[in-house]
Amino acid sequence: MLLQLEGVIAGYGSGSDILRGVDLSLDSGAFTCLIGPNGAGKSTLLRTISGLLRPRQGRILFRGRDIGGRRPDLLFRDGIAHVPQGRSSFAQMTVWENVLMGAYSLADQRQVDQGLTQAAELFPIIREQRHKAAGLLSGGEQKQVEIARAMVRQPTLLLLDEPTLGLEPRAARVVVEKMRMLNQLGTTLLLVEQNARMGLSAAKWGCIMELGTIKLQGMGDQLLNDPQVKRLYLGQAAESA
Amino acid sequence: MSPGLLAQSLVLGILTGGMYALMAAGLTLIFGVMKVINVAHAAIIVMGAYLSLTLFRHLGIDPLLSVLLLIPVFLALGALIQWSVVNRLAERDITLTVLMTFGFAIILEGLQGAIWTSSYQGIKTGYSLESFQLFTLYIPVVRLISAGISLLLLAGLYALLTFTKLGRAIRATIQNRTAAQLVGVDVRLVTTVSFAIGIAIAGAAGPLLGMLFTFYPATHWLWIGKLLAIVVLGGLGSLRGAFVAAMLLGIAEQVTSVTLALGWAPMIFYVFLFGVLVVRPQGLFGAVERQSL
Ligand SMILES: Nc1ncnc2c1ncn2[C@@H]1O[C@H](COP(=O)(O)OP(=O)(O)OP(=O)(O)O)[C@@H](O)[C@H]1O
Ligand SMILES: [Mg+2]
Repeated sequence: MLLQLEGVIAGYGSGSDILRGVDLSLDSGAFTCLIGPNGAGKSTLLRTISGLLRPRQGRILFRGRDIGGRRPDLLFRDGIAHVPQGRSSFAQMTVWENVLMGAYSLADQRQVDQGLTQAAELFPIIREQRHKAAGLLSGGEQKQVEIARAMVRQPTLLLLDEPTLGLEPRAARVVVEKMRMLNQLGTTLLLVEQNARMGLSAAKWGCIMELGTIKLQGMGDQLLNDPQVKRLYLGQAAESA
Repeated sequence: MSPGLLAQSLVLGILTGGMYALMAAGLTLIFGVMKVINVAHAAIIVMGAYLSLTLFRHLGIDPLLSVLLLIPVFLALGALIQWSVVNRLAERDITLTVLMTFGFAIILEGLQGAIWTSSYQGIKTGYSLESFQLFTLYIPVVRLISAGISLLLLAGLYALLTFTKLGRAIRATIQNRTAAQLVGVDVRLVTTVSFAIGIAIAGAAGPLLGMLFTFYPATHWLWIGKLLAIVVLGGLGSLRGAFVAAMLLGIAEQVTSVTLALGWAPMIFYVFLFGVLVVRPQGLFGAVERQSL
């Protein structure tokens, strides 16, 4: 088991609990998609795993070690990368500087070069647009730069928060295709996706989150055919169930 | 205004603006990483002036040499203060942190009054009153030197920020703190280092200020007003903006002081500042803030 959450409770500041006891396991090499309504706590869950948020209770085991409360920069060095929801590039830095930041914590130049080469193979855009300020790219291009930046260090676990949000269907498919390729290269993926159909068909495993807990999980295609899931998340009329 | 007079005030304005830019650089850098206005910034610069004065009077150390001596001292002090006090507070309450820098300014002012009394001071070296003629232009030597040193230090800062790994981490932290953390940057450490650099630049500006202007403990209030205007006009957190705005202020002051009267200079500048902010609330070079997290 690569990542294991046991009864994780978390929230912001002194506010109420947003995660209300999350149990979740990810095998090494898995591609898991997390869906759920707005405000369910999906982003909060990713932030808790990547260390931006400290769990109030429960355990988060990464490779068997409890990482709850560990700083995000250290967790990134441990192998957990997180591409947050919305735009998170360094807007006034060039595309290439953005990607270089992904290698910030690497001391070995050979590893840096290797990571950059691999990122550029998967995302040619980071070479094509290398001198452009990241903030000037389109939404889909920026997302690719952000994912490239997150993979330069070759993370074990990559958390992606709605990477296709706001992208036109073709750009969204490009991003999803890249995720599949990353997974085939051995990266374990946890993807939060608003487009449940696209997410569940790309991933092998699916989880449904509601009100701060994992309500249902199963194989991606099973969930796609589940009548209740169809009705609630795939926007299909009840009669088709 | 005759072309000769205009050229003269442009040159003087640029030379003075260079030093203004150095004074404002640390302020805008600290704002960039911490989102805190360091109200004590000018008081720290004046502290540098007093220390340089004492080094000069008692040990005969030239103020230009004390620029070099003060940099490591202020760097260390800045890091210490940031690590022990400012960071702890800033992580809890940003408004209180601004108030605290206000308190720092008052403490420094009181300290300076107790040590050096509240009378006017100036650092007068053997070359203080020297000047030379370049074509029709009259160039005071200390202004040229202080502008030269300012530009040198600013170029160093620019190179640090642009070409080094630390510099990239500082810019990343300024532009998106959360994203910087998520790529392995220890943003607390980067913040401390940036703050220390900002304070070190302030310390370095002290002797230059002391050579060009008279000073007394309360002068920092005058200066912080100017510096705030510069960093706001340039766009909070933007070094390039602060540089351009400092030049504009320097030139505006000189030109108005020969055409109207010295007293009008600040007003002209603030009118200009006001005009710019109406059109561009983020300042000349400021980025529109984008919320992360
Ligand atoms: N920074 C924050 N401070 C306080 N509360 C927050 C913060 N971010 C999110 N919340 C609250 O936590 C709850 C869950 O938010 P979260 O962003 O995790 O939902 P989500 O499932 O990702 O939703 P969406 O699909 O809209 O992205 C919401 O009620 C939200 O108001
Ligand atoms: Mg979300």
